[in-house]
Amino acid sequence: MKTCIACGMPMKEKSEFAMGDESKDYCVHCANEDGSMHSFEQKKESMIGFIVKTQGLAREAAESAALSMMKKLPAWERNFAN
Amino acid sequence: MAEKRKLQKAETRKRIIAAAIKVYSEQGFSVPTVTIAEEAKVSHGSIFVHFPTVESLLICLLDSFSQSINNELQSLSESSGDIEKLLNMHINVLIQHEGFYKRLIKEAVYLPEEAKNTFIAIQSIVSIHFLQALEYEISAGKIKAVPFHMLFNTWLGLVHYYLLNGELFAPQDSVLTRYKSALIECFTALIKQ
Ligand SMILES: [Zn+2]
Repeated sequence: MKTCIACGMPMKEKSEFAMGDESKDYCVHCANEDGSMHSFEQKKESMIGFIVKTQGLAREAAESAALSMMKKLPAWERNFAN
Repeated sequence: MAEKRKLQKAETRKRIIAAAIKVYSEQGFSVPTVTIAEEAKVSHGSIFVHFPTVESLLICLLDSFSQSINNELQSLSESSGDIEKLLNMHINVLIQHEGFYKRLIKEAVYLPEEAKNTFIAIQSIVSIHFLQALEYEISAGKIKAVPFHMLFNTWLGLVHYYLLNGELFAPQDSVLTRYKSALIECFTALIKQ
């Protein structure tokens, strides 16, 4: 099974892939309307937003957690290279 | 011969992980690695062959715990909309790791940054399933009008309170096993309207 390179979500159904295209490596939640993948900043903001919404954490704590989650995902490897 | 060595190496790694879970659960995360080596019956140095730092060992344990929560709750997403079922599965997976999880919530504030963030990531996985299970009922107006994170944190707060005071609620026993139905019934009664 494929997992989204940008958020880690497992993709089982065709509808879970970006544009319903199973050759894509990222999921429907990580795709812009034109089918391109979200940018690093976009994804970071949406992860922070999700953590704040579901766990109620302070923004600073949510940001630190979001970055550490992104660090483990192949799509953002280059953003963490130093 | 190379094959045999590879197998041996994997076997040692497995033993270190099992020993670390046991020792950490019983004595806490500040236990020296030499205690883990003794429990695993391996040389102290071989721990560092597999895990260059104590932190990397801890992250490995957290990642595998996260994996097992994810696998367990994943099967639910097909039958979403059933909050009792989700809470039941959540408690079941915690029961499988009860000692380790209890230690984790007890010492979470003292863990290194990376481990703390991994713990938040674990709760994030749980919250995704929680949200999926409740979404329909929330939009149908069947759940009290409370912010979602308050629903989630109330559930975690309840479960963690019982876990942290296990000696009072269920001495010498699995507190989650004993209180599973009571916790689920209480929580769902509180949030439904
Ligand atoms: Zn994604």
